[in-house]
Amino acid sequence: MVQKLDDYYADFVRTFGSVLFAVSLFVVWGLLTLIGVIVDQGKDPSIYFGSYPAPIARAILRLSFDNIYHSPWYVGIIGLILLSLTVCTFKRVIPARLPPLRPVTIDRIPLHASFELNGDESSVRARVESFFRKRGWQLRERTFDGTEWTFADKFNWARRGVLVAHIGFVIIAAGTTLYWARGFSGDTVVVTGQSVEIPQTKMILHLDNFAYTITPVMTKGGMVYQPTDYVSHVTVTGNDGVPKAMTVRVNHPIDVDKTLYYQASYGFAMRFHVAHNGTDVPALSQRVLLEGESFDVPGTRLAVSYDRFVPTVDRASGMPSADPRVNDPAVILSVANGGVDEGSALVPLHTWVDLGGGWRIVPDRCLLYSGFQYRYDPGIPLVGIGALVLVAGLLISFYFLPARLYARVDPGPGGRCTVGMAATTVKGYDMFESQFRGLVAEFSAEAQ
Amino acid sequence: MNGHLQADELLMIVAIASYIVGALALLAYFFTHEAWLRNLGVPLAVVGCVAQFAQLFVRWELTGIWPLLNLYGSLSLFAAMSVAIFLVMAWRYKAWYAGGFVLALAAIALAYGVTWNEGTMPAVPSLQSYWAKIHVPIVVSSYAAFLVAFVFSVIYLIKYYAEARIAAASGTVELAGTGMTMKISGDTPALAAAAANGNATAQWLQTLPSLAQLDVIVYRAVAIGLPLISIGIITGAAWAKEAWGAYWQWDPKETAALSTWIVYLAFMHLHTRNAWRGLRTNWVSVAGFMLVIFTYLGVNIWISGLHSYKV
Repeated sequence: MVQKLDDYYADFVRTFGSVLFAVSLFVVWGLLTLIGVIVDQGKDPSIYFGSYPAPIARAILRLSFDNIYHSPWYVGIIGLILLSLTVCTFKRVIPARLPPLRPVTIDRIPLHASFELNGDESSVRARVESFFRKRGWQLRERTFDGTEWTFADKFNWARRGVLVAHIGFVIIAAGTTLYWARGFSGDTVVVTGQSVEIPQTKMILHLDNFAYTITPVMTKGGMVYQPTDYVSHVTVTGNDGVPKAMTVRVNHPIDVDKTLYYQASYGFAMRFHVAHNGTDVPALSQRVLLEGESFDVPGTRLAVSYDRFVPTVDRASGMPSADPRVNDPAVILSVANGGVDEGSALVPLHTWVDLGGGWRIVPDRCLLYSGFQYRYDPGIPLVGIGALVLVAGLLISFYFLPARLYARVDPGPGGRCTVGMAATTVKGYDMFESQFRGLVAEFSAEAQ
Repeated sequence: MNGHLQADELLMIVAIASYIVGALALLAYFFTHEAWLRNLGVPLAVVGCVAQFAQLFVRWELTGIWPLLNLYGSLSLFAAMSVAIFLVMAWRYKAWYAGGFVLALAAIALAYGVTWNEGTMPAVPSLQSYWAKIHVPIVVSSYAAFLVAFVFSVIYLIKYYAEARIAAASGTVELAGTGMTMKISGDTPALAAAAANGNATAQWLQTLPSLAQLDVIVYRAVAIGLPLISIGIITGAAWAKEAWGAYWQWDPKETAALSTWIVYLAFMHLHTRNAWRGLRTNWVSVAGFMLVIFTYLGVNIWISGLHSYKV
């Protein structure tokens, strides 16, 4: 039983410690990520059936490709990658410290050279050591079977680069987990002059006013109405109970009690004057509807939906204009009777619409509303540190090549010595070939 | 204002013209190795690159708007950085032979970018951030480094398959290795023999660096691009955090960039394996660049999202 468990463990370590297995996981991760790029995420099933042949749409929904980044596949593959990263770190990266100092067969290492130099063994060895020491190589001597070897190492510390990168990845994962465990986020909409309470923080957010700037620009393709500013002036009351006036802009969130509030959206809320047989119905007339909201007409099966605000109606065509500035405003209203769509209409502001049965409504007053996102994320510092550590690990791994040089001096006849030299690196021989050639050429010129 | 705009367009014309003529000269150099072609093409590459950076600066100066906020500006920087990274690597590795391909791709990118030039547009609120001056150049530079890696990978693959054909024809498969320093990156004996026998293709292939040397250049280019795209994704996340409240929103552009990062990460991992280094990693580099193009252009143009800044 124990033997079997040992075998399973050995298989597990062998599999998850394999670089090719890690790369296979990368490939699956990359493919799943790409599926998420190509397939629209989080849409209604009807959208997929409208966009793809039925079998593909069904497959998208059954395999959770419509919400792939939160699917078991995606979370699972990230879990496997973290597991593989951990096993690789302990099996490969940490053990890959300084290679042992031991003699090698110089001729069998592809990067090798030999020289005949005048001088006795000790003076030639001194020249070899002086040459490498001057160039920043760390030297060590060892004697094996009566032969003295010189081992020279450079950028040995850079062997830790991969470990540093792996640690960075783990720190990022820890920061993200901290947000899942302790953080929260949400969004809210506030109409001008109104307040909302943020459920998680109990902070009161009052919108004093919202303004936006649209700049018309004549381009080669025609007139473009470019939004250039969205700004919310708010009064916030946080944990200290003191109201504070603040300004929220895109790219300029506000921080209230460590929760950040972001400018996210805006729109036009609408107040409708609703009358029945010529008498105002205050319960409906005092309501403020956001785009997409609706109300039921009492005593009927009618529901009126405020679909969209139209800032400017093109007078020539009577249709909504592309100009997003409020010049000649209207609303698009739709009416349903018993859940059956009765159609929609473009209704200019202050214009009555007769719903039948003595009911009339008029879009009376529009109010700007501002949409905010808020987020408390205690994992941000960790994610930031992890990102820096990851990049540092990549830079160390890519730009500092740990190399080991082996040199031995053998006395020869006639007061001459033979110097044998070979080099190994952690990234193969090709990567170091030109540098080795350069070293050999310099040594050859200097040591003669 | 018009005078400045004319200067802007004039510099763009100089850049495109330099790249086209330079590309032709260096492509001819790739096949003939006539030194005068290199001596013509390389200065033109430098002129085009300098003209492009000048054009971007002039555009920024005259409009007061950071010029990289649309495809026109970012493709312009992409072309300029591709040429700049190539020039540095070519100088370092004596790799001018690849210049024709890089300049041709830069000219195509630039010409395509011009079709997206809609004139001067103020930035939308989400783009009005200092991060635009950090994130965009870094990401575009990473794409440029991957373009250079792609070009060298293509040359590697051309040489690999041509050598393989010659070796198959002669029935030889052996690596070279002679001399005081064992020449691990030399041409195959089959290639040397075929060249000695007057095979024109073999003689031409011998003018190119060895496969091992090409592979090292590809590795070096990816080693520029991967940290850059990593920093680019991180700065993009920091910007998204500031603009939208979440550093990662699974936006198509973010996730496509993540896919690209994963492919090049796989490249680097595979490059540590002797059996995968060379042919396979160079195919990964080619696939990676296809993904770069999709991430850079495909997502902006075909898929709507937070990065759909088409003009």
